[in-house]
Amino acid sequence: MTDETPVSAPEEPPIAAPAPRSRQDYALALAIAGWFLPGLGHLLQRMWGRALVVFVVVGMLVVVGAGMRGTVFTAHGNDAFDTLGYVADLGTGSFYFVARALERTGPDTSHANGDYGTRFLATAGVLNLLAALHAFEAARGRKA
Amino acid sequence: MTGFGGLMLSHFQALLLFAAIISLAFGFLGRRRPKDRISYILWSFFLFLVVGIGIGWLMYPFSR
Repeated sequence: MTDETPVSAPEEPPIAAPAPRSRQDYALALAIAGWFLPGLGHLLQRMWGRALVVFVVVGMLVVVGAGMRGTVFTAHGNDAFDTLGYVADLGTGSFYFVARALERTGPDTSHANGDYGTRFLATAGVLNLLAALHAFEAARGRKA
Repeated sequence: MTGFGGLMLSHFQALLLFAAIISLAFGFLGRRRPKDRISYILWSFFLFLVVGIGIGWLMYPFSR
């Protein structure tokens, strides 16, 4: 007697299967590591090139921004824009303190150079947040 | 550069530096294969320059 059981169609995998809880936590830890030290989130996933580029790029933006005497915002801002700038600057993680340490003479936004420096510093933070998000998604298996 | 904190760049130099740095990051984060990365970096760099210079010229009539 042969087995008459009909062969069912192969079950289609879900389009985006939710990652297990432990994997989510791991991805979150990597994202936080990547935020704290630019490139670390990728380094821990053995994405050497991306780790190096994120570290160098964020570092360069911070050094150039501080070198141009851009504003490194503090928590004691005068208005909402200062607070936004502070949030953006904090995006560089530990490099925020590097920028504070480098800029001993204080900001000088009376010239265009200082203003550009402020943008460089803010961009460093936002770019690092983007990289941390990328590391998070890569760890979840969404993209790499 | 006259000591740290004295980095003076012209507008165009700042634009070039910014475009180069950000394009590099975009290329490495956005693409995986080396060939794709290079073309993405170059394309992104080109667009940064074109858009930056274009906006500069658009603002020119209001600059004085």
